[in-house]
Amino acid sequence: MIKRGVSLYSYQQEQFFHRMDFKDMIGEVRHALGTDGIEIIADNLIPKYPFPTPQFLFAWNNEMARYHMKAVTMDVFLDVLQFRDHVMNHREAAERLKNDIRIAAAMGFENVRTLSSVPIEVIRLALPTAEKYNVRIGKEIHFPIPIRPGNRKKNKYGMAAVRDFSMVEQILDLRQETGSPYVGLIPDFGIFQHKASKVTVAYERRQAKYPEEVDFLVENRKNYSFDELVELAREKYPDGEMTVMSMERIAIHEPVARPEDLREIVPYIISIHGKFYDMTEIPQQPGRYEDVCMDYEGPIRQLLQWGYDGYINSEYEGQRDQQDLGLEGLADEVEQVRRHHEMLKRLLTEIGKEEGSVSQAPAEGLGR
Amino acid sequence: MFDNFLVRSDSLKNDIQDGKAVGFQFAVRIADYRGCFLSLHNGYYVVCDGQEYGRECQTFEVNGKSPRTFGELKECVWEHWDYDDEAIVHIKKEGGLKPGLHELGLQQSILMQYGYGLHDEEWVQNPPIPGGAESSGKSAGIFAYTLKLQEGGTKND
Repeated sequence: MIKRGVSLYSYQQEQFFHRMDFKDMIGEVRHALGTDGIEIIADNLIPKYPFPTPQFLFAWNNEMARYHMKAVTMDVFLDVLQFRDHVMNHREAAERLKNDIRIAAAMGFENVRTLSSVPIEVIRLALPTAEKYNVRIGKEIHFPIPIRPGNRKKNKYGMAAVRDFSMVEQILDLRQETGSPYVGLIPDFGIFQHKASKVTVAYERRQAKYPEEVDFLVENRKNYSFDELVELAREKYPDGEMTVMSMERIAIHEPVARPEDLREIVPYIISIHGKFYDMTEIPQQPGRYEDVCMDYEGPIRQLLQWGYDGYINSEYEGQRDQQDLGLEGLADEVEQVRRHHEMLKRLLTEIGKEEGSVSQAPAEGLGR
Repeated sequence: MFDNFLVRSDSLKNDIQDGKAVGFQFAVRIADYRGCFLSLHNGYYVVCDGQEYGRECQTFEVNGKSPRTFGELKECVWEHWDYDDEAIVHIKKEGGLKPGLHELGLQQSILMQYGYGLHDEEWVQNPPIPGGAESSGKSAGIFAYTLKLQEGGTKND
């Protein structure tokens, strides 16, 4: 069964302005969204991370119990320069991950999310701890990583140049090798994004030395490879100062994964990030919302068809593209997440009805 | 991220020592969606009224402790600057700032990242100088603030 949840990351701006704390967020998910799934970013939400106080842990667990919530996934990072006098090696990185697993367990989380860039060896080293604490490790399939790399060529520039496209295969291999159900995948809906959001384009236009450079990228993104596009933009606007990172998010014009790619990974999915940038009303359908740059319908259909059993947690990210507009221009995170849940609820119900009885997933499930 | 909101608008004050202004200070938040280990904080690009103030002029006050240099912070490998918390940047400047409005430009340099990167070894030896966009996190801009110098100032000894 597919369940709805929220990554409290979605309310980062409310938290920044001290308008909502974690208790307010949990209350919003329970009362306004009528659901129970909670995801957090560890070093966003845990005071004094990585040494949470007993008071914090009690307050957290109490609030989760009060509203009968489910601690689904805790997202953890890997800052390899933490020690500054050397680059953290894989054993040290694994120690960090093990400690995060212990924190997750103390907060009642079923899973931790590691970054897509965390070396597989680090996950392997932490796996016994995951088993001991009954916390699964999910590696995020984040844009621009595909589920199945196929013949995709790596770019010279941007994130797609440095990310390992065999990530999914490595996780499946580790799972097969160890037979452990404590390692799996966390796809992010960003892999189904098929164009840059208009809030992103508008932000980059406002920041750019030459807004025409942004327009040039938008107009030509389908006509060239990303590498060619970067070089053309640099040629045309030699003093343009746009970063490759900015160019990369503007240049998105096709998803990096196909919905049907989900089929073979469904049994290994631990939870899902419901990434979105801007929920707007569907024309002529009052009260119904969509993110016009993301495909939700196709992937949800596949997930239902192959019997995904777990959470899709909203991950709202459009707010940061409106933080240059002054207080009155800020996005309304609470409303955006409510709209996202209108969509999730509707698609899950409607497609669920169309699909009728749910097929068996092709291999064993991860459910506990 | 938080382009217009990284500096609290009513926080610009002079730092006073033995009755004399020795610099100025302002309150900042982290330009990210999570906190960081203090060791990763690599200082700020600061320009005030057209004058740049490098890291040698900067100290950072956080977690209820006295202001520390970025050299000292580099050693704080397990102390966290929490996402929710404000910190104070102190800038050494003899005589402090004059009363009235001031133009502040700011870019944070924190070596937070998504796992291993191509520059890791290089940054251990030669960390980036704040102001280049490579360590500025989610936003490459130098954010501009017009701030009014608050009266009084704070003793900073």
